[in-house]
Amino acid sequence: MLKPPDWHLLIVWYFFLGGIAGGAYFTAAIADNFGSARDKSVFRVGYVLALLLVSVCGILLILDLGTPSRFLNMLKSFKFWDPMSIGAWMLGVFGMFAFGSSALSFMGGEGMARLRRRLSLIGIISGFFIAAYTGVLLSATAMPFWREARLMGALFLASGASTGMAAISLFLYLFGESAGEGYKKVKRADRYAIMFELVVLAVFLALLGGAAGPIVSGHLAPLFWGGLVVAGLVIPLLLDVSGLRLPGAVPAALVLVGGFILRYVIVMANA
Amino acid sequence: MARTLAMFTDTSLCIGCRACQVACKEWNELPSEQPEWTGSYQNHATFTDKTYRLVRFIEKPQANGELSWLLMSDVCKHCAQAGCLDACPTGAIYRTEYGTVNINQDVCNGCRYCVSSCPFGVVSFNHETGRANKCTFCNDRIHNGLGPACAKTCPTESIQFGFRDELVTKAGKRVAALKDMGYKEAQLYGADSNGPLGGLNAFFLLLDKPTTYALPEKPALPQRNVIVDSLLSVGSALLVGVGALLAFRQRGRADGGAVKAGAATDGDAKDGGHA
Repeated sequence: MLKPPDWHLLIVWYFFLGGIAGGAYFTAAIADNFGSARDKSVFRVGYVLALLLVSVCGILLILDLGTPSRFLNMLKSFKFWDPMSIGAWMLGVFGMFAFGSSALSFMGGEGMARLRRRLSLIGIISGFFIAAYTGVLLSATAMPFWREARLMGALFLASGASTGMAAISLFLYLFGESAGEGYKKVKRADRYAIMFELVVLAVFLALLGGAAGPIVSGHLAPLFWGGLVVAGLVIPLLLDVSGLRLPGAVPAALVLVGGFILRYVIVMANA
Repeated sequence: MARTLAMFTDTSLCIGCRACQVACKEWNELPSEQPEWTGSYQNHATFTDKTYRLVRFIEKPQANGELSWLLMSDVCKHCAQAGCLDACPTGAIYRTEYGTVNINQDVCNGCRYCVSSCPFGVVSFNHETGRANKCTFCNDRIHNGLGPACAKTCPTESIQFGFRDELVTKAGKRVAALKDMGYKEAQLYGADSNGPLGGLNAFFLLLDKPTTYALPEKPALPQRNVIVDSLLSVGSALLVGVGALLAFRQRGRADGGAVKAGAATDGDAKDGGHA
Protein backbone atom coordinates (compact mmCIF):
# COMPACT_ATOMS: atom_id res chain seq x y z
CA MET A 1 0.00 0.00 0.00
CA LEU A 2 2.99 2.27 -0.44
CA LYS A 3 2.59 5.39 -2.50
CA PRO A 4 4.93 6.60 -5.22
CA PRO A 5 5.89 10.27 -5.02
CA ASP A 6 4.45 11.21 -8.37
CA TRP A 7 7.84 12.24 -9.71
CA HIS A 8 8.13 12.32 -13.47
CA LEU A 9 10.33 13.61 -16.27
CA LEU A 10 11.41 16.85 -14.59
CA ILE A 11 12.92 14.82 -11.79
CA VAL A 12 14.45 12.30 -14.22
CA TRP A 13 16.14 15.19 -16.04
CA TYR A 14 17.28 16.68 -12.76
CA PHE A 15 18.84 13.42 -11.56
CA PHE A 16 20.52 12.99 -14.96
CA LEU A 17 21.85 16.53 -15.39
CA GLY A 18 22.77 16.82 -11.72
CA GLY A 19 24.86 13.67 -12.10
CA ILE A 20 26.65 15.11 -15.12
CA ALA A 21 27.22 18.43 -13.35
CA GLY A 22 28.74 16.72 -10.31
CA GLY A 23 30.75 14.29 -12.44
CA ALA A 24 32.05 17.02 -14.75
CA TYR A 25 33.11 19.11 -11.77
CA PHE A 26 35.02 16.43 -9.90
CA THR A 27 36.63 15.23 -13.11
CA ALA A 28 37.69 18.80 -13.88
CA ALA A 29 38.99 19.29 -10.35
CA ILE A 30 41.10 16.14 -10.58
CA ALA A 31 42.40 17.11 -14.03
CA ASP A 32 43.17 20.59 -12.72
CA ASN A 33 45.02 19.46 -9.61
CA PHE A 34 46.75 16.31 -10.77
CA GLY A 35 46.98 16.63 -14.56
CA SER A 36 49.31 18.70 -16.66
CA ALA A 37 48.96 22.20 -18.06
CA ARG A 38 47.80 20.67 -21.32
CA ASP A 39 44.64 19.44 -19.62
CA LYS A 40 43.39 23.01 -19.43
CA SER A 41 40.69 22.34 -22.02
CA VAL A 42 39.39 19.46 -19.89
CA PHE A 43 38.95 21.37 -16.67
CA ARG A 44 37.66 24.48 -18.36
CA VAL A 45 34.93 22.51 -20.16
CA GLY A 46 34.21 20.58 -16.97
CA TYR A 47 33.81 23.64 -14.74
CA VAL A 48 31.67 25.54 -17.24
CA LEU A 49 29.52 22.50 -17.95
CA ALA A 50 28.95 22.06 -14.21
CA LEU A 51 27.95 25.72 -13.87
CA LEU A 52 25.53 25.64 -16.80
CA LEU A 53 23.95 22.36 -15.77
CA VAL A 54 23.55 23.24 -12.11
CA SER A 55 21.62 26.32 -13.22
CA VAL A 56 19.34 24.14 -15.33
CA CYS A 57 18.98 21.78 -12.37
CA GLY A 58 17.77 24.59 -10.14
CA ILE A 59 15.16 25.58 -12.72
CA LEU A 60 13.95 21.98 -13.11
CA LEU A 61 13.47 21.57 -9.38
CA ILE A 62 11.65 24.86 -9.03
CA LEU A 63 9.35 24.02 -11.95
CA ASP A 64 8.56 20.65 -10.42
CA LEU A 65 7.03 22.32 -7.37
CA GLY A 66 4.29 23.85 -9.49
CA THR A 67 4.38 27.14 -7.60
CA PRO A 68 7.96 28.36 -8.08
CA SER A 69 8.08 30.75 -5.11
CA ARG A 70 7.51 27.82 -2.76
CA PHE A 71 11.10 26.81 -3.38
CA LEU A 72 12.00 29.43 -0.79
CA ASN A 73 10.28 27.29 1.86
CA MET A 74 13.18 24.83 1.53
CA LEU A 75 15.57 27.58 2.56
CA LYS A 76 13.82 28.25 5.84
CA SER A 77 14.82 24.88 7.19
CA PHE A 78 17.94 22.74 7.42
CA LYS A 79 17.90 19.07 8.38
CA PHE A 80 21.27 17.40 8.23
CA TRP A 81 19.76 13.90 8.23
CA ASP A 82 17.38 14.60 5.36
CA PRO A 83 18.83 14.12 1.85
CA MET A 84 16.31 16.49 0.28
CA SER A 85 17.04 19.28 2.74
CA ILE A 86 20.84 19.03 2.54
CA GLY A 87 20.54 18.55 -1.21
CA ALA A 88 18.69 21.82 -1.69
CA TRP A 89 21.37 23.66 0.25
CA MET A 90 24.27 21.83 -1.38
CA LEU A 91 22.93 22.64 -4.82
CA GLY A 92 23.51 26.29 -3.95
CA VAL A 93 26.96 25.58 -2.50
CA PHE A 94 27.92 23.53 -5.54
CA GLY A 95 26.67 26.31 -7.82
CA MET A 96 28.98 28.77 -6.08
CA PHE A 97 31.98 26.47 -6.46
CA ALA A 98 31.13 25.87 -10.12
CA PHE A 99 30.83 29.60 -10.68
CA GLY A 100 34.11 30.38 -8.92
CA SER A 101 36.03 27.65 -10.72
CA SER A 102 34.57 28.58 -14.12
CA ALA A 103 35.38 32.24 -13.68
CA LEU A 104 38.93 31.50 -12.48
CA SER A 105 39.54 29.14 -15.40
CA PHE A 106 39.27 32.12 -17.73
CA MET A 107 41.72 34.26 -15.77
CA GLY A 108 45.42 34.18 -16.48
CA GLY A 109 48.29 34.21 -14.04
CA GLU A 110 49.83 31.62 -11.75
CA GLY A 111 48.20 33.16 -8.67
CA MET A 112 44.74 32.71 -10.14
CA ALA A 113 45.57 29.18 -11.20
CA ARG A 114 46.70 28.31 -7.68
CA LEU A 115 43.54 29.80 -6.23
CA ARG A 116 41.43 27.86 -8.74
CA ARG A 117 43.11 24.57 -7.81
CA ARG A 118 42.67 25.18 -4.09
CA LEU A 119 39.03 26.14 -4.62
CA SER A 120 38.27 23.04 -6.65
CA LEU A 121 39.97 20.79 -4.06
CA ILE A 122 37.30 21.92 -1.60
CA GLY A 123 34.56 22.11 -4.22
CA ILE A 124 35.23 18.53 -5.31
CA ILE A 125 33.36 17.38 -2.20
CA SER A 126 30.24 19.21 -3.33
CA GLY A 127 30.69 17.69 -6.81
CA PHE A 128 30.74 14.16 -5.42
CA PHE A 129 27.83 15.07 -3.20
CA ILE A 130 25.63 16.37 -6.02
CA ALA A 131 26.29 13.25 -8.08
CA ALA A 132 25.49 10.83 -5.26
CA TYR A 133 22.91 12.40 -2.97
CA THR A 134 19.95 11.90 -5.31
CA GLY A 135 20.55 8.16 -5.03
CA VAL A 136 20.69 8.31 -1.23
CA LEU A 137 17.51 10.40 -1.38
CA LEU A 138 15.69 7.61 -3.19
CA SER A 139 17.13 5.06 -0.82
CA ALA A 140 15.74 6.92 2.20
CA THR A 141 12.13 6.25 1.20
CA ALA A 142 9.76 3.41 1.96
CA MET A 143 9.83 2.05 -1.62
CA PRO A 144 11.49 -1.42 -1.63
CA PHE A 145 12.97 -1.06 -5.12
CA TRP A 146 14.69 2.17 -4.13
CA ARG A 147 15.74 1.33 -0.61
CA GLU A 148 16.76 -2.28 -0.41
CA ALA A 149 20.06 -2.44 -2.30
CA ARG A 150 21.66 0.34 -0.23
CA LEU A 151 23.82 1.13 -3.27
CA MET A 152 21.65 3.68 -5.05
CA GLY A 153 23.95 6.55 -4.06
CA ALA A 154 27.06 4.62 -5.11
CA LEU A 155 25.43 3.72 -8.43
CA PHE A 156 24.34 7.29 -9.13
CA LEU A 157 27.83 8.50 -8.34
CA ALA A 158 29.38 6.00 -10.76
CA SER A 159 26.88 7.04 -13.40
CA GLY A 160 27.54 10.71 -12.67
CA ALA A 161 31.23 10.00 -13.26
CA SER A 162 30.75 8.10 -16.51
CA THR A 163 28.26 10.63 -17.91
CA GLY A 164 30.16 13.68 -16.65
CA MET A 165 33.34 12.44 -18.30
CA ALA A 166 31.44 11.50 -21.47
CA ALA A 167 29.94 14.99 -21.59
CA ILE A 168 33.38 16.59 -21.26
CA SER A 169 34.80 14.39 -24.01
CA LEU A 170 31.79 15.08 -26.22
CA PHE A 171 32.27 18.84 -25.93
CA LEU A 172 36.02 18.55 -26.47
CA TYR A 173 35.26 16.58 -29.61
CA LEU A 174 32.74 19.15 -30.79
CA PHE A 175 35.21 21.97 -30.13
CA GLY A 176 37.78 20.16 -32.26
CA GLU A 177 40.05 19.33 -29.32
CA SER A 178 39.99 15.59 -29.89
CA ALA A 179 43.66 15.46 -30.87
CA GLY A 180 44.80 16.77 -27.50
CA GLU A 181 46.33 14.89 -24.59
CA GLY A 182 43.49 15.97 -22.29
CA TYR A 183 40.89 14.37 -24.52
CA LYS A 184 42.68 11.03 -24.39
CA LYS A 185 42.95 11.22 -20.63
CA VAL A 186 39.31 12.00 -20.07
CA LYS A 187 38.43 9.10 -22.39
CA ARG A 188 40.62 6.83 -20.32
CA ALA A 189 39.07 8.08 -17.10
CA ASP A 190 35.63 7.45 -18.58
CA ARG A 191 36.64 3.90 -19.43
CA TYR A 192 37.48 3.24 -15.77
CA ALA A 193 34.25 4.89 -14.67
CA ILE A 194 32.17 2.72 -17.02
CA MET A 195 33.89 -0.45 -15.80
CA PHE A 196 33.28 0.62 -12.22
CA GLU A 197 29.65 1.45 -12.98
CA LEU A 198 29.11 -2.02 -14.48
CA VAL A 199 30.51 -3.63 -11.34
CA VAL A 200 28.37 -1.45 -9.04
CA LEU A 201 25.31 -2.13 -11.16
CA ALA A 202 25.88 -5.89 -10.97
CA VAL A 203 26.26 -5.79 -7.18
CA PHE A 204 23.24 -3.48 -6.96
CA LEU A 205 21.04 -5.94 -8.86
CA ALA A 206 22.36 -8.89 -6.89
CA LEU A 207 21.60 -7.18 -3.58
CA LEU A 208 18.14 -6.10 -4.74
CA GLY A 209 17.19 -9.61 -5.79
CA GLY A 210 13.45 -9.87 -6.29
CA ALA A 211 12.92 -6.17 -5.56
CA ALA A 212 14.70 -5.40 -8.85
CA GLY A 213 11.69 -6.80 -10.73
CA PRO A 214 10.41 -3.47 -12.06
CA ILE A 215 13.55 -2.91 -14.12
CA VAL A 216 14.94 -6.37 -14.83
CA SER A 217 11.72 -8.07 -15.89
CA GLY A 218 8.90 -5.53 -16.07
CA HIS A 219 7.89 -3.27 -18.95
CA LEU A 220 10.99 -1.16 -18.34
CA ALA A 221 13.28 -4.19 -18.77
CA PRO A 222 13.97 -3.74 -22.53
CA LEU A 223 14.97 -0.14 -21.89
CA PHE A 224 17.12 -1.13 -18.94
CA TRP A 225 18.95 -4.05 -20.55
CA GLY A 226 19.07 -2.71 -24.10
CA GLY A 227 19.39 1.02 -23.51
CA LEU A 228 21.54 1.15 -20.39
CA VAL A 229 23.46 -2.10 -19.98
CA VAL A 230 24.17 -2.92 -23.63
CA ALA A 231 24.02 0.38 -25.54
CA GLY A 232 24.98 2.68 -22.69
CA LEU A 233 27.78 0.75 -21.00
CA VAL A 234 28.99 -2.41 -22.74
CA ILE A 235 29.07 -1.10 -26.33
CA PRO A 236 30.89 2.17 -25.48
CA LEU A 237 33.39 0.15 -23.48
CA LEU A 238 33.94 -2.33 -26.31
CA LEU A 239 34.24 0.50 -28.86
CA ASP A 240 36.83 2.11 -26.63
CA VAL A 241 38.86 -1.05 -26.01
CA SER A 242 38.64 -2.34 -29.59
CA GLY A 243 40.23 0.86 -30.87
CA LEU A 244 37.74 1.05 -33.73
CA ARG A 245 38.19 4.21 -35.73
CA LEU A 246 34.83 5.71 -34.85
CA PRO A 247 34.24 9.38 -34.11
CA GLY A 248 34.78 9.82 -30.35
CA ALA A 249 31.37 11.45 -30.12
CA VAL A 250 29.60 8.11 -30.67
CA PRO A 251 30.58 6.26 -27.48
CA ALA A 252 30.23 9.48 -25.48
CA ALA A 253 26.69 10.03 -26.76
CA LEU A 254 25.81 6.40 -25.99
CA VAL A 255 27.06 6.76 -22.41
CA LEU A 256 24.97 9.91 -21.99
CA VAL A 257 21.82 8.26 -23.31
CA GLY A 258 22.53 5.30 -21.00
CA GLY A 259 22.85 7.64 -18.02
CA PHE A 260 19.49 9.18 -18.81
CA ILE A 261 17.90 5.74 -19.14
CA LEU A 262 19.31 4.70 -15.75
CA ARG A 263 17.55 7.63 -14.03
CA TYR A 264 14.45 7.14 -16.15
CA VAL A 265 13.89 3.47 -15.32
CA ILE A 266 14.70 3.97 -11.66
CA VAL A 267 12.34 6.92 -11.17
CA MET A 268 9.60 5.62 -13.46
CA ALA A 269 9.61 2.15 -11.89
CA ASN A 270 7.77 3.77 -8.99
CA ALA A 271 5.80 6.38 -10.92
CA MET B 1 4.84 18.34 26.04
CA ALA B 2 1.36 17.40 26.98
CA ARG B 3 0.47 13.80 27.64
CA THR B 4 0.50 11.85 24.38
CA LEU B 5 -2.89 11.34 22.82
CA ALA B 6 -3.77 8.31 20.77
CA MET B 7 -6.44 6.54 18.83
CA PHE B 8 -6.97 2.85 19.38
CA THR B 9 -8.81 1.08 16.59
CA ASP B 10 -10.17 -2.26 17.72
CA THR B 11 -10.93 -4.02 14.44
CA SER B 12 -12.81 -6.81 16.23
CA LEU B 13 -15.60 -4.30 16.90
CA CYS B 14 -15.75 -2.76 13.43
CA ILE B 15 -18.96 -3.39 11.53
CA GLY B 16 -17.86 -1.65 8.34
CA CYS B 17 -20.48 1.10 8.50
CA ARG B 18 -17.99 3.75 7.34
CA ALA B 19 -19.46 6.38 9.64
CA CYS B 20 -15.86 7.30 10.53
CA GLN B 21 -15.00 7.81 6.89
CA VAL B 22 -18.00 10.10 6.43
CA ALA B 23 -17.49 12.00 9.70
CA CYS B 24 -13.88 12.62 8.69
CA LYS B 25 -14.97 14.00 5.33
CA GLU B 26 -17.58 16.21 6.91
CA TRP B 27 -15.45 17.67 9.65
CA ASN B 28 -12.45 18.22 7.40
CA GLU B 29 -14.60 19.48 4.51
CA LEU B 30 -13.19 16.89 2.13
CA PRO B 31 -15.15 16.57 -1.12
CA SER B 32 -16.52 13.27 -2.35
CA GLU B 33 -14.65 11.29 -4.97
CA GLN B 34 -15.70 9.04 -7.79
CA PRO B 35 -16.08 5.51 -6.35
CA GLU B 36 -13.94 2.85 -7.95
CA TRP B 37 -14.15 -0.92 -8.25
CA THR B 38 -11.63 -2.35 -5.82
CA GLY B 39 -12.78 -5.96 -5.85
CA SER B 40 -14.65 -5.66 -2.56
CA TYR B 41 -16.91 -3.20 -0.77
CA GLN B 42 -13.88 -1.10 0.03
CA ASN B 43 -13.71 2.40 -1.37
CA HIS B 44 -11.20 3.75 -2.15
CA ALA B 45 -8.33 1.38 -2.74
CA THR B 46 -5.88 3.61 -0.87
CA PHE B 47 -5.82 6.80 1.14
CA THR B 48 -6.22 9.81 -1.09
CA ASP B 49 -5.82 13.53 -0.65
CA LYS B 50 -9.54 13.61 0.09
CA THR B 51 -9.88 10.41 2.15
CA TYR B 52 -8.05 10.40 5.48
CA ARG B 53 -10.02 7.56 7.11
CA LEU B 54 -10.46 4.43 5.09
CA VAL B 55 -12.40 1.33 6.07
CA ARG B 56 -10.66 -1.69 4.63
CA PHE B 57 -12.84 -4.66 3.65
CA ILE B 58 -10.74 -7.79 3.50
CA GLU B 59 -12.29 -11.06 2.38
CA LYS B 60 -10.66 -14.00 4.07
CA PRO B 61 -11.36 -17.60 3.04
CA GLN B 62 -12.48 -19.81 5.92
CA ALA B 63 -11.69 -23.49 6.45
CA ASN B 64 -15.14 -24.43 5.13
CA GLY B 65 -14.52 -22.50 1.91
CA GLU B 66 -16.75 -19.56 2.75
CA LEU B 67 -15.48 -16.03 2.95
CA SER B 68 -15.42 -14.00 6.11
CA TRP B 69 -14.92 -10.26 6.51
CA LEU B 70 -12.00 -8.68 8.18
CA LEU B 71 -12.85 -5.03 8.67
CA MET B 72 -10.41 -2.34 9.63
CA SER B 73 -10.81 1.38 9.82
CA ASP B 74 -7.38 2.55 8.74
CA VAL B 75 -5.85 5.96 9.35
CA CYS B 76 -2.54 7.82 9.59
CA LYS B 77 -0.54 6.12 12.34
CA HIS B 78 1.01 9.34 13.72
CA CYS B 79 4.25 7.37 14.21
CA ALA B 80 6.52 8.24 17.12
CA GLN B 81 9.35 8.10 14.54
CA ALA B 82 7.69 9.42 11.43
CA GLY B 83 9.27 8.95 8.00
CA CYS B 84 7.22 11.77 6.48
CA LEU B 85 8.30 14.18 9.19
CA ASP B 86 11.98 13.35 8.78
CA ALA B 87 11.72 13.57 4.99
CA CYS B 88 10.07 16.99 4.90
CA PRO B 89 12.67 19.53 3.74
CA THR B 90 10.61 22.60 4.65
CA GLY B 91 9.61 21.77 8.20
CA ALA B 92 5.95 21.80 7.15
CA ILE B 93 5.45 18.42 8.78
CA TYR B 94 5.70 18.80 12.53
CA ARG B 95 4.87 17.05 15.77
CA THR B 96 2.25 18.63 17.95
CA GLU B 97 2.49 18.85 21.72
CA TYR B 98 0.11 15.87 21.86
CA GLY B 99 2.51 13.65 19.91
CA THR B 100 0.51 13.70 16.69
CA VAL B 101 2.02 14.47 13.27
CA ASN B 102 0.58 17.26 11.19
CA ILE B 103 1.27 19.00 7.88
CA ASN B 104 1.27 22.78 7.94
CA GLN B 105 -0.40 23.50 4.61
CA ASP B 106 1.02 27.03 4.38
CA VAL B 107 4.60 25.79 4.58
CA CYS B 108 4.39 22.62 2.45
CA ASN B 109 5.93 23.32 -0.94
CA GLY B 110 4.76 20.24 -2.79
CA CYS B 111 8.05 18.35 -3.20
CA ARG B 112 6.21 15.03 -2.55
CA TYR B 113 9.16 13.42 -0.77
CA CYS B 114 6.96 12.63 2.25
CA VAL B 115 4.51 10.70 0.05
CA SER B 116 6.99 7.89 -0.65
CA SER B 117 8.64 8.17 2.77
CA CYS B 118 5.53 6.95 4.58
CA PRO B 119 5.86 3.22 5.35
CA PHE B 120 2.06 2.96 5.21
CA GLY B 121 1.24 4.94 2.06
CA VAL B 122 -0.79 7.45 4.02
CA VAL B 123 0.44 10.84 2.85
CA SER B 124 -1.15 11.97 -0.42
CA PHE B 125 -0.50 14.77 -2.84
CA ASN B 126 -3.31 17.17 -3.65
CA HIS B 127 -2.94 18.28 -7.25
CA GLU B 128 -5.30 21.22 -6.77
CA THR B 129 -3.41 22.86 -3.90
CA GLY B 130 -0.04 21.44 -4.93
CA ARG B 131 0.59 20.32 -1.35
CA ALA B 132 0.66 17.06 0.58
CA ASN B 133 -2.02 16.22 3.09
CA LYS B 134 -3.19 13.48 5.41
CA CYS B 135 -5.16 12.87 8.60
CA THR B 136 -4.63 15.75 11.02
CA PHE B 137 -5.83 13.78 14.07
CA CYS B 138 -8.50 16.53 13.95
CA ASN B 139 -5.91 18.97 15.17
CA ASP B 140 -8.50 21.71 15.55
CA ARG B 141 -10.76 19.47 17.64
CA ILE B 142 -8.11 18.08 19.99
CA HIS B 143 -6.92 21.61 20.70
CA ASN B 144 -10.43 22.41 21.82
CA GLY B 145 -10.93 19.45 24.09
CA LEU B 146 -12.76 17.26 21.59
CA GLY B 147 -11.82 13.87 20.22
CA PRO B 148 -11.25 13.25 16.52
CA ALA B 149 -14.46 13.19 14.47
CA CYS B 150 -14.00 9.52 13.48
CA ALA B 151 -13.68 8.34 17.09
CA LYS B 152 -16.57 10.54 18.19
CA THR B 153 -18.90 9.09 15.60
CA CYS B 154 -17.96 5.40 15.75
CA PRO B 155 -21.16 3.60 16.86
CA THR B 156 -19.40 0.48 18.17
CA GLU B 157 -16.45 2.17 19.88
CA SER B 158 -14.16 0.39 17.51
CA ILE B 159 -12.26 3.67 17.35
CA GLN B 160 -11.35 4.95 20.79
CA PHE B 161 -9.63 8.21 21.62
CA GLY B 162 -7.73 9.04 24.77
CA PHE B 163 -4.37 9.18 26.50
CA ARG B 164 -1.96 6.74 24.93
CA ASP B 165 -0.84 4.98 28.10
CA GLU B 166 -4.43 4.33 29.20
CA LEU B 167 -5.46 3.06 25.77
CA VAL B 168 -2.48 0.69 25.59
CA THR B 169 -3.46 -0.87 28.92
CA LYS B 170 -7.04 -1.21 27.75
CA ALA B 171 -5.94 -2.73 24.44
CA GLY B 172 -3.80 -5.31 26.23
CA LYS B 173 -6.79 -6.50 28.24
CA ARG B 174 -8.93 -6.69 25.13
CA VAL B 175 -6.38 -8.86 23.29
CA ALA B 176 -6.24 -11.24 26.26
CA ALA B 177 -10.05 -11.45 26.31
CA LEU B 178 -10.22 -12.16 22.57
CA LYS B 179 -7.58 -14.86 22.83
CA ASP B 180 -9.66 -16.51 25.55
CA MET B 181 -12.60 -16.40 23.19
CA GLY B 182 -10.59 -18.33 20.62
CA TYR B 183 -9.24 -15.60 18.37
CA LYS B 184 -5.76 -17.06 18.23
CA GLU B 185 -4.28 -14.46 15.89
CA ALA B 186 -5.58 -11.46 17.82
CA GLN B 187 -2.71 -9.03 18.29
CA LEU B 188 -1.86 -5.40 18.79
CA TYR B 189 -0.20 -3.44 16.02
CA GLY B 190 1.89 -0.42 16.94
CA ALA B 191 1.03 -0.37 20.64
CA ASP B 192 4.56 -1.13 21.84
CA SER B 193 6.54 2.08 22.15
CA ASN B 194 9.75 0.02 22.02
CA GLY B 195 8.60 -1.61 18.79
CA PRO B 196 8.98 -0.50 15.16
CA LEU B 197 8.89 3.28 14.59
CA GLY B 198 8.86 3.86 18.35
CA GLY B 199 5.22 2.88 18.46
CA LEU B 200 2.22 4.30 16.63
CA ASN B 201 -0.04 6.92 18.16
CA ALA B 202 -2.88 5.46 16.15
CA PHE B 203 -2.54 1.78 16.94
CA PHE B 204 -4.70 -1.21 16.16
CA LEU B 205 -6.02 -4.48 17.40
CA LEU B 206 -5.94 -6.95 14.51
CA LEU B 207 -7.61 -10.34 14.22
CA ASP B 208 -5.01 -11.68 11.82
CA LYS B 209 -1.41 -11.15 10.76
CA PRO B 210 -0.57 -7.53 9.81
CA THR B 211 0.16 -8.59 6.23
CA THR B 212 -3.44 -9.77 5.84
CA TYR B 213 -4.40 -6.13 6.36
CA ALA B 214 -1.69 -4.95 3.93
CA LEU B 215 0.29 -3.59 6.86
CA PRO B 216 4.08 -4.08 6.89
CA GLU B 217 5.24 -6.68 9.42
CA LYS B 218 8.14 -4.55 10.62
CA PRO B 219 7.83 -1.00 9.27
CA ALA B 220 11.20 0.75 9.26
CA LEU B 221 12.10 4.40 9.39
CA PRO B 222 13.28 5.18 5.82
CA GLN B 223 15.95 7.57 7.05
CA ARG B 224 17.75 4.67 8.73
CA ASN B 225 19.33 4.08 5.32
CA VAL B 226 21.00 7.46 5.08
CA ILE B 227 24.23 6.79 6.97
CA VAL B 228 25.15 3.44 5.40
CA ASP B 229 24.15 4.56 1.91
CA SER B 230 26.15 7.75 2.31
CA LEU B 231 29.22 5.81 3.43
CA LEU B 232 28.88 3.47 0.47
CA SER B 233 28.63 6.54 -1.77
CA VAL B 234 31.82 7.90 -0.23
CA GLY B 235 33.50 4.56 -1.03
CA SER B 236 32.22 4.85 -4.57
CA ALA B 237 33.56 8.41 -4.78
CA LEU B 238 37.00 7.29 -3.61
CA LEU B 239 37.20 4.53 -6.23
CA VAL B 240 35.96 6.82 -8.99
CA GLY B 241 38.40 9.49 -7.82
CA VAL B 242 41.31 7.05 -7.88
CA GLY B 243 40.35 5.99 -11.42
CA ALA B 244 40.28 9.59 -12.62
CA LEU B 245 43.52 10.31 -10.78
CA LEU B 246 45.27 7.42 -12.51
CA ALA B 247 44.01 8.64 -15.88
CA PHE B 248 45.14 12.22 -15.33
CA ARG B 249 48.24 12.02 -13.14
CA GLN B 250 51.29 13.13 -14.98
CA ARG B 251 53.01 15.73 -12.92
CA GLY B 252 56.78 15.27 -12.85
CA ARG B 253 56.63 12.46 -15.40
CA ALA B 254 58.20 12.39 -18.80
CA ASP B 255 55.72 11.96 -21.64
CA GLY B 256 57.18 8.55 -22.42
CA GLY B 257 55.77 7.30 -19.12
CA ALA B 258 52.20 7.95 -20.13
CA VAL B 259 51.71 4.70 -22.04
CA LYS B 260 53.20 2.66 -19.22
CA ALA B 261 51.04 4.44 -16.66
CA GLY B 262 47.95 3.76 -18.77
CA ALA B 263 48.73 0.06 -19.00
CA ALA B 264 49.32 -0.22 -15.27
CA THR B 265 46.15 1.63 -14.34
CA ASP B 266 43.85 -0.74 -16.19
CA GLY B 267 44.60 -3.43 -13.66
CA ASP B 268 44.31 -1.04 -10.73
CA ALA B 269 40.84 0.08 -11.72
CA LYS B 270 39.61 -3.46 -12.10
CA ASP B 271 40.95 -4.45 -8.71
CA GLY B 272 39.31 -1.39 -7.21
CA GLY B 273 36.00 -2.27 -8.80
CA HIS B 274 35.91 -5.75 -7.37
CA ALA B 275 36.92 -4.67 -3.89
